[in-house]
Amino acid sequence: MNKGYLCLVLHSHLPFVRHPEHEDFLEEDWLYEAITETYIPLILVFEKLLNDKVDFRITMSLTPTLISMLQDSLLQERYLKHINKLIELSHKEVERTRWQPEFQNLAQMYLVRFYEARNTFERYGRNLVTAFKGFQDAGKVEIVTCGATHGYFPLMDASKPSVRAQVRVAAAHYQQAFGRKPRGIWLPECGYYPGDDEILKESGIKFFFTDAHGILHGSPRPKYGVFAPVYCKSGVACFARDLESSKQVWSSVEGYPGDYDYREFYRDIGFDLDYDYIHPYIHPDGIRINTGIKYYRISGNDEKRPYDPYRAREKAAEHAGNFMFNRERQVEYLYELMQKKPIIVSPYDAELFGHWWYEGPMWLEFLMRKIYFDQKAIRMITPSEYLAENPRNQVVTPSMSSWGWKGYSEMWLQGTNDWVYRHLHTASERMTELVKTFPHPPSELCRRALNQALRELLLAQSSDWAFILGTGTHVGYAVKRTKDHLLRFTTLYEQVKHNSIDESWLSGIENTDNIFPDIDYRVHQ
Amino acid sequence: MALLRRVKDKIKKIVARGTRKHKTPASAAGKARVAKAARPGHAQEAKKETIGIRETVIEKTKFSHPEAERSRRIMVEELPGSYGKDRIVLQVRDPWWLHSYWEITAGTLEGIKGRLGDRFWGAKKIVRVYDVSNINFDGNNAHRFFDVDVGDATNWYIDAGGPGRSWCADIGLLLGNGEFITIARSNTVSTPLDGPSWITDEEWMIPEEMFARLYGMGFGFGRSSPVGKAWQERMKRELFSGVLASPGITSVSSPAKALPRARKFWLVVNTELIVYGATEPDAKVTVQGKEITLRPDGTFSLRFALPDGKQVIPVHATSNDGIDERTITPIVTKETR
Repeated sequence: MNKGYLCLVLHSHLPFVRHPEHEDFLEEDWLYEAITETYIPLILVFEKLLNDKVDFRITMSLTPTLISMLQDSLLQERYLKHINKLIELSHKEVERTRWQPEFQNLAQMYLVRFYEARNTFERYGRNLVTAFKGFQDAGKVEIVTCGATHGYFPLMDASKPSVRAQVRVAAAHYQQAFGRKPRGIWLPECGYYPGDDEILKESGIKFFFTDAHGILHGSPRPKYGVFAPVYCKSGVACFARDLESSKQVWSSVEGYPGDYDYREFYRDIGFDLDYDYIHPYIHPDGIRINTGIKYYRISGNDEKRPYDPYRAREKAAEHAGNFMFNRERQVEYLYELMQKKPIIVSPYDAELFGHWWYEGPMWLEFLMRKIYFDQKAIRMITPSEYLAENPRNQVVTPSMSSWGWKGYSEMWLQGTNDWVYRHLHTASERMTELVKTFPHPPSELCRRALNQALRELLLAQSSDWAFILGTGTHVGYAVKRTKDHLLRFTTLYEQVKHNSIDESWLSGIENTDNIFPDIDYRVHQ
Repeated sequence: MALLRRVKDKIKKIVARGTRKHKTPASAAGKARVAKAARPGHAQEAKKETIGIRETVIEKTKFSHPEAERSRRIMVEELPGSYGKDRIVLQVRDPWWLHSYWEITAGTLEGIKGRLGDRFWGAKKIVRVYDVSNINFDGNNAHRFFDVDVGDATNWYIDAGGPGRSWCADIGLLLGNGEFITIARSNTVSTPLDGPSWITDEEWMIPEEMFARLYGMGFGFGRSSPVGKAWQERMKRELFSGVLASPGITSVSSPAKALPRARKFWLVVNTELIVYGATEPDAKVTVQGKEITLRPDGTFSLRFALPDGKQVIPVHATSNDGIDERTITPIVTKETR
């Protein structure tokens, strides 16, 4: 008999970055890198577990923007080009490192991995969403949705119709991708504002997640802390993050990924090697970028040592064992205290696994195998399964919260990015005005313009732009994206109002911002 | 049948590439790349400009289109600095701070000026913040209010100092005689609590001691957490320091800790060896016993990372018919002092 549950959650998100107007676009690499380093390695882990009949559970959010990019034929084509160049570079690297066996082995390792990535990509018909759908259909992975473009809800209090549009568009999009309705949602940035659960309920969503203080500071006092979900008054369930398990993986101070035996992210041959040699594999403008080929381990404070895959593997196994041991003790203790089986909810950014923490997917595989074979105290579970088995829970109104810096909204609301909200809120009001004016579009052209207006509004609302403005890197791109979408929206608003829609221009932006082809602008109300 | 050969030792120096920008957590990022070039028409700052609608008559359509009179092209090219509407909006930043932005139209100000006459000149622009917790605010029944003198600003961070309260704000003018003229009223927002709720429900009653324990565990302070004020302080400090904050787009920012560098100056030197040559395009060539591929014109070029020590590099070519053979063996020694 198990004494508690472990609910691992991986939040996978990238903003919608797609620039058909440019041959080569730096920020599109975010997707290509995540495919090679995170999504495909995770898919391979799940395949192996299925193959070996290991009964595992994991919850994943795949945001509608990420799904849209994974399904987009232009980006699929470009990914193939990208991985082919990496394969070419790895071949050269195998040759170049001939007199340095410790590096040549690594070059070989990358070569194999890149071939494997390409094969996996082709095997799923270039559409990795089908892979995740398969794992969900097999009952091992529960996929939850997210805001349509990852808009940060707590700063949309003045634009509730936009929150509704974010949720409804996401739910419809999920249905198309996975053939059923989403049961759960990962609120963008884990940002909860009291009352938003009512909007989730309208779309049939049964649960969401908050950070620990979302429930701990909820009212009335939660009897079981973060170790049992609560129901909002709307009846939607809320699960809270457990910070002890988060800290073990995530903490920049004491987390596993900082171990000296693990691969060093910052030593990439895109920066390390001779400019003339690496030039064809970095940005055409000559900007050095990460290629994904990295030869060193984190090491101590001294010189960086070459990466040793065997040592790293051993360490990942050891860390998986340590994580499991700690969860067993945690669950046993809590079971005594609560007289009830606790649920430990451990959410992480998916891109932490593989991209940042190279050994992350391996660690996950070890962990799931060990939990299945080596112990009895914990059982892996998804939120849906938990609620089916434990339908009776306390009613608590969670507290406003996010999992961002300082736990609330400051990351997205500070001197560098607060200027966006005046425009976003006005655009949202204007969208509502358009919906009221045109409950039925007077013409096909007008319908197209209204639908595109909502696409542009949603794209402008991505929390990523405000986030980037807050961090101070890539600022130019974030400003450009915010303004581009707001200006396109405003132009459409004026054109629709003055009945002078410019069809060829509209066709152009429909082609560029081609997300959510089946959107209906009337969800914005 | 000449075997052109040349072996060239090329010592590459990679010197001082400046400080490694991608090392700091702020510029974060494996990809410390600058979005540049290839982004036409992009201005950094939202220019303050009143509604920028450019209307252009497209000449051509006048002649080819029956609806030519209507086809003015509307294209908005800059975000407006204002939207021509009196309004004020409140947002919650955290349990203690609110953010507010507002707009007062010139017309409204003129109107007030006309009404007030000379009294207008002593008036101050004020954001009046009302504590409206648990009431239906009618403009007069707030628990309390305070004023923020905002001058010419159009947004403000307000230290409300009251977690778990509800707030509403007016933008308006405060006259010399203390009279306040409201121009616009905001939405109502609620700040979250900064600690556990004091409300408990009977059905889910929990002893204080047990709750304290679960509370500490929820924040990840283990099972032996001492219960008390010092512990609570420590918890808040760590929780809200960003140690566990989501790094967001992980490509753009790093959860890993930046290593502090005592001083920034540094130097890296690596060496590579380029072995290149040519032969008949259809010849078979091996380098250190490993076959290589020739370019269509019979040339080849190989590049090796060159470690310290001696490298013996036999280059062997055999003609297509297998009759002619040549071997050239460069020997390269590298040492680093």
